[in-house]
Amino acid sequence: MPRREMQVLIRKAYLLTLFAFLFIGCVSNERMDRLYAQRCIGCHGLTGKGDGPTAAFLPATVPDFRETVQRRSVTQIRNIITKGKGMMPAYGPALSGREIQDMVLMVRFLSQLDRSPKWWERFEPLVWAHCTVPWEVVLGYDDPPEEDKR
Amino acid sequence: MIRRPSSTVGFALIASALLGAPRESMAHDPASPTAAPEAQRRQVHAVFNDFSLTDQAGRPFRFQTLRGKVVLLTFLYTTCSDVCPLLTANMRALQQSLTARERQDVYFVSVTTDPEVDTPSVLKSYADRYKVDFSDWSFLTGDQRSLEPVWKMFGVKVERVARGLINHTTLTALIDSKGVMRLVYLDAAPDPKRMLADVRGLLGQQ
Repeated sequence: MPRREMQVLIRKAYLLTLFAFLFIGCVSNERMDRLYAQRCIGCHGLTGKGDGPTAAFLPATVPDFRETVQRRSVTQIRNIITKGKGMMPAYGPALSGREIQDMVLMVRFLSQLDRSPKWWERFEPLVWAHCTVPWEVVLGYDDPPEEDKR
Repeated sequence: MIRRPSSTVGFALIASALLGAPRESMAHDPASPTAAPEAQRRQVHAVFNDFSLTDQAGRPFRFQTLRGKVVLLTFLYTTCSDVCPLLTANMRALQQSLTARERQDVYFVSVTTDPEVDTPSVLKSYADRYKVDFSDWSFLTGDQRSLEPVWKMFGVKVERVARGLINHTTLTALIDSKGVMRLVYLDAAPDPKRMLADVRGLLGQQ
């Protein structure tokens, strides 16, 4: 294949990937689903609402982490997953960096489900930023701002 | 002459108690209920060999040093996301329910089932998140070789599924001041009120 055609093809593939990423937002894969089923679903439930089978027996309320997209920065979410919080286990000593990253992505993925158009109008840019751009380059947002404003 | 039951006899007694139970709960076993509808509480009579492990501060810990105290001992691992949080929360509730006088005669012990992940510092962080008072509660770890006999002695099955993911028998043991195991709770979430009554029952017998 001529070099020029090859370059055009590569450029098309690149644009297609970028386009897919921007318009799909956060997606889960089998590895993330398995991780979520093994480590999170018991308390956080199928959709992240905090209604898993174990949650009912805990002497604490399991938060609806779907709301975290507007309340917590990526760094804060990663810190909670790594270091634990209250009764939530600290996964840092047990899981790899990639698995922790998968958990952060899963939080973002679940945050998007069943949202109204109003929610999307307000938080779409944040979801895109969290799901499509490497965390390290989301400057100014990855730093933990204020804790919980509510 | 009264012969004290040996640890082997003790193990047999525990084993028979476990076999007599409807079904022992396993953490992370999909078939096991999160909390049994009825408490799986069994009376046993078993004496154990002494064992030595390492506590959350990295200090050596000998089980023998607890003679004279009523001991509530359980098995858990820190990245467990179903049964273990319930066990620790219930024991914490029980610790808080005891009076200052009672707490002088009671001791809590949590033994890890995941030595690969649960180092002393990891156990310390875990306990801190539950606001555990370490004055009468130790979290124990060790290497696989020193933990295996302890799991076996208490009849706890441990299966590693992946790093930080362990299937293990959920067992909480109530041991009297002479070092004799008197009760085992095999359910995932033993009722703290029931356990408190049992602890007070043993304290009354001292």
